[in-house]
Amino acid sequence: MIDNFNRYVLGNADLLGQGLLMTLRICVQAFLLAIVLAVAVGLARVYVPMLRFLAAAYIEFFRATPILVQLLWVNYVWPDLFGFPQTAEQAGIIALALQSSGYLAETIRSGIEGLPRGQYDAGRAVGLSSLQIIRRIVAPQVVLVMAPSLISQMAVVIKSSTLVSVIAIPDLMYAAIRIVNQWFEPIEILTSTAFLYFLVIFLLSLAANRISDRFRTRFGLAE
Amino acid sequence: MLDHLKQSLDPALFWEYRVTLLAGLVENIAIFLASAVLASLLALAIGLARTSSNRFSRLLSAGYTELFRNTPEYVLLVWAYYVLPLILSRLLAQKLSISPVPAAILALGFAYSGFLSETVRTGLLAVPIGHREAAMALGMSRIDILRRIVFPQGLRRVLPDALNQYVSLFKATSIVSLIAVEDIMYQVSMINVEEMRPLPLYTGAALLYCAIVIAASQTIQVLTRRWRQRGWA
Repeated sequence: MIDNFNRYVLGNADLLGQGLLMTLRICVQAFLLAIVLAVAVGLARVYVPMLRFLAAAYIEFFRATPILVQLLWVNYVWPDLFGFPQTAEQAGIIALALQSSGYLAETIRSGIEGLPRGQYDAGRAVGLSSLQIIRRIVAPQVVLVMAPSLISQMAVVIKSSTLVSVIAIPDLMYAAIRIVNQWFEPIEILTSTAFLYFLVIFLLSLAANRISDRFRTRFGLAE
Repeated sequence: MLDHLKQSLDPALFWEYRVTLLAGLVENIAIFLASAVLASLLALAIGLARTSSNRFSRLLSAGYTELFRNTPEYVLLVWAYYVLPLILSRLLAQKLSISPVPAAILALGFAYSGFLSETVRTGLLAVPIGHREAAMALGMSRIDILRRIVFPQGLRRVLPDALNQYVSLFKATSIVSLIAVEDIMYQVSMINVEEMRPLPLYTGAALLYCAIVIAASQTIQVLTRRWRQRGWA
């Protein structure tokens, strides 16, 4: 067992390391894109009556379809339909971002709608414009409420990112499966990979819990 | 682009292969039901252990929850399919293999038992301690207290959350195609190999999942609304 571990896991450390880097790269990009999309869709959902229905449909669609289906859909259908993404990597990033943006947009919406009406009235009473009210009153509070769910969504992105190996993006999972197919010795390599993913995601979840506890006590943001 | 959009939304291909696709969907639903039962039973046991007075079982069950909640489903699936039979073979000293369907049920069942045990725990903690004490004072047994006092109230409290977990579980059944379970995504890929028409196939699959998930969760919400409102603690 130790022999196998040394041989297959440590012996392929560079391959796995590259895979992990690819995983992190994809996740970070997908996450940033998800935030941008979520803010746009979430704001449209609440503030733009003409786009409300469209934004709601977007949120529902991406929340109700499995990530694998979205991934294959973006990878195979979008290039013909919209002319992009051009590479598998882009497709992976877009699909992961779309899924998370649906969840995050919903969080933004509930964050905004959870604010008491009086705060808008108060803002208006002191002569703030609508944009200023959003920027200086709504946004800071919504960001505070959202911070924990942002981090837990990051964990979801990493979990979902294991599937991008299916469209041949050389992430950690892809590297692991390649090594398995090469040596037919899956025990050590797959267990180590599982543990590695567990560790990364567990630490993120831990951070999310810490932060949400902290916010709750410090800013009195009780659920 | 408009032409491509029309192609994507063309249901003709889906209709042509309706029998195969339906068989795939039935496979999804079967795996969903089996793993939902497995996950619920495990979650119940783990949830009870997490609220037990024994420190050791609390620690152990918390570790279990964290382990399965924080490991990606796909990794668990691949692990259950490739590694589990090898380890079992070594332990039992005889050659064992596991076919894709049981591997899928095990992997998804264990993965979601982690999420659901957290839900169970929330439900158990939501019932005020005074209710248990009152039941104890009346001389009810522990099983009776759980069955007649704690579960009915706890379940009502966590039903929306549990429903979300089951929806996620159903969505997660799409990944079983990756270990060659012949579910709907597997059939879609196979048909695509034959027909080379990804546009209507993958768009159709996405819309189908979306429709099923939204319809099912709305229906259950409506059906359970009255039950949930009745007898609130």
